[in-house]
Amino acid sequence: MGRGEGFVAHKTVTFTQECAIPVERERLWDFLMEVPKVARCVPGIESIEAVDASAYKGSLRVQVGPIRLSLEGTMTVEEQDRAAWRARMRAEANDRRVGGGIRARMSLTLAPGEGGTRLRIETDLAILGRIGEFGQPVIKKKADALLEEFAHNLGSTLRQGG
Amino acid sequence: MNAFEYAAPRTLDEALAVLGEHGDEARVIAGGTALVTMMRQRLLSPGYLVSLREISGLDRIEAANGDVGIGALVTHREVETSPLVQERIPVLADTFRRVASVRIRNMATVGGALAHADPNQDPPVTLIALGARVEIRGAGGRRELPVEEFFHDYYESALEPGEVVTGVVVPRLPAASGAAYVKFLPRTADDYATVAVAATVSLEPDGERCRAARIALGSVGVTPIRALAAEGLLVGQQLGAELLLAAGEAITGAVDPLNDHRGSAAYKKEMAAVMVGRALTQAWDAARASSRTRP
Repeated sequence: MGRGEGFVAHKTVTFTQECAIPVERERLWDFLMEVPKVARCVPGIESIEAVDASAYKGSLRVQVGPIRLSLEGTMTVEEQDRAAWRARMRAEANDRRVGGGIRARMSLTLAPGEGGTRLRIETDLAILGRIGEFGQPVIKKKADALLEEFAHNLGSTLRQGG
Repeated sequence: MNAFEYAAPRTLDEALAVLGEHGDEARVIAGGTALVTMMRQRLLSPGYLVSLREISGLDRIEAANGDVGIGALVTHREVETSPLVQERIPVLADTFRRVASVRIRNMATVGGALAHADPNQDPPVTLIALGARVEIRGAGGRRELPVEEFFHDYYESALEPGEVVTGVVVPRLPAASGAAYVKFLPRTADDYATVAVAATVSLEPDGERCRAARIALGSVGVTPIRALAAEGLLVGQQLGAELLLAAGEAITGAVDPLNDHRGSAAYKKEMAAVMVGRALTQAWDAARASSRTRP
């Protein structure tokens, strides 16, 4: 049992982010459904491996100011609805050293956009344990910076024929 | 808290050498009020602590060429109670008096507070408004930065690995100037500010029109900031309700507060404009008084 378990969750933060990916919707969808490939575009990802058809385990390094977190956990794809161009996933990860973790539910929607596809990500995120008080105020800014880099990585991977 | 090695070198060069040797694993400790708390929370687990407390010469407050130099190891309480600071830069003594509680002020150091780069602290705000500079030493030598350029992000400063803050230099305000620090504290007296503002105003010889002004804010984003756009509106103007309204609007556009238990971002934005109005009014009044006593 990780240290995140049993900790009281700080208030859940909900936010919506959007970015443009310069490829057509079908191609982006196909790519996004291959979790290990997508994971390589996530800044700070250290490992990812499939547990079964819809669940993965992995680790992610995040730095907030002087604090370095190593989040280890699982990600489960809960819904893949190509007709609606929507996918939902759930992630749970803990940092064993610092004590605490994150719980996230994310919903991805793909819409046609100028020069490619608009990727919309809605996130409900709870930060648990010791990292909560320190990290809570900057979650949104950190998430925006991560998305910006993710979108950039995704774009360049796809342009290279990823 | 994790186990760690502790070194208390006697000279700055020795301290820099130890820091260089241990790289990422080492952290500098002075008063320990911020670092030890983070270590106890296990947010940080450094393998090596390099104390600056045995190094002589970093614990002085000195007047030099009209400036006041404050060493990195000077405590908040020492700044607050220093006759030199009280006489030359009363707003700075007042600002340090507003930090947390007296127990913390007895331990927390000027250099440590800067290096911690917490955007909710009091002293950086007033230091920015006063045009102060941070002195930094590293293996490569000595450098100085305006305080407003020292803060890069949430708890991130311009300090490179192996560098140490050795002090701050606060310049003297020109004649016919006034300064104020306003800390909005809706909760308890020892809390961090919900919004904090420092302002300095220097007047023309007419004793009414603004010749130059500086405005700085804390707790309104990931770093303390200087509000250049609002400052620009003040030059050549007389104090009045419309001017304060315009300055407040400029402030609203310049801040990007974080939602936290001290208030929502929207609330802090509005309060930032209000507090800037109050700080400017106080600084302007002080400048007028100063221009009357020193014609």
